[in-house]
Amino acid sequence: MNIYEHTYIAAPEANKKDIENIEKKIEDILNKSSGKIHKTEDWGLRNLAYPIKKNNKGYYRNLYLEGNKDTIKEIENFEKFDEKVIKYLSIKLKKLPKEDSELLKEKV
Amino acid sequence: MRKKQTKKKNSFGLGSKISQLSKKNCPLAKKNDEELNYKNVKLLKKYISDSAKILPTRITNVSHSKQKILVREIKKARALALLPYVTN
Repeated sequence: MNIYEHTYIAAPEANKKDIENIEKKIEDILNKSSGKIHKTEDWGLRNLAYPIKKNNKGYYRNLYLEGNKDTIKEIENFEKFDEKVIKYLSIKLKKLPKEDSELLKEKV
Repeated sequence: MRKKQTKKKNSFGLGSKISQLSKKNCPLAKKNDEELNYKNVKLLKKYISDSAKILPTRITNVSHSKQKILVREIKKARALALLPYVTN
């Protein structure tokens, strides 16, 4: 089992329900392969540095996951075909960070 | 004239050592991995130019090992649209 950091950007027109649905599906995929979510961070609606799929804003969500390489592949494959997710990035970590990220502090 | 000669001698002897010590240090030397992260956009913005290019170490004085990490983190931030690839 590895620790991953996964960030995705949801389209600005997405409702709370849409984001909940995305989160549910990720949890389902994780439950199948006995993975889990350690921590979630909501960075809120931010301006994008460049337009992605004709959007100038996006909802950022950051997850710390534990799982195999296949689970992260499955999550990315689901997000690829989901219309509400504009972009995603997953990074393998050696250990979990103790503090909140700077972007979360910036928001408050 | 004599004073000028003594100054030149210093630059080869003790003076050169002093000038080495007063060289600017790496500004990121005390930053650990958690601080130097793609999520720390405020910090990364200091090391890109107005047209969003990554600045060379001869301008920023960042050490070679930290520059390697910095470049990687800037590229991650660009992928997530936290930093721009180009600005006009």
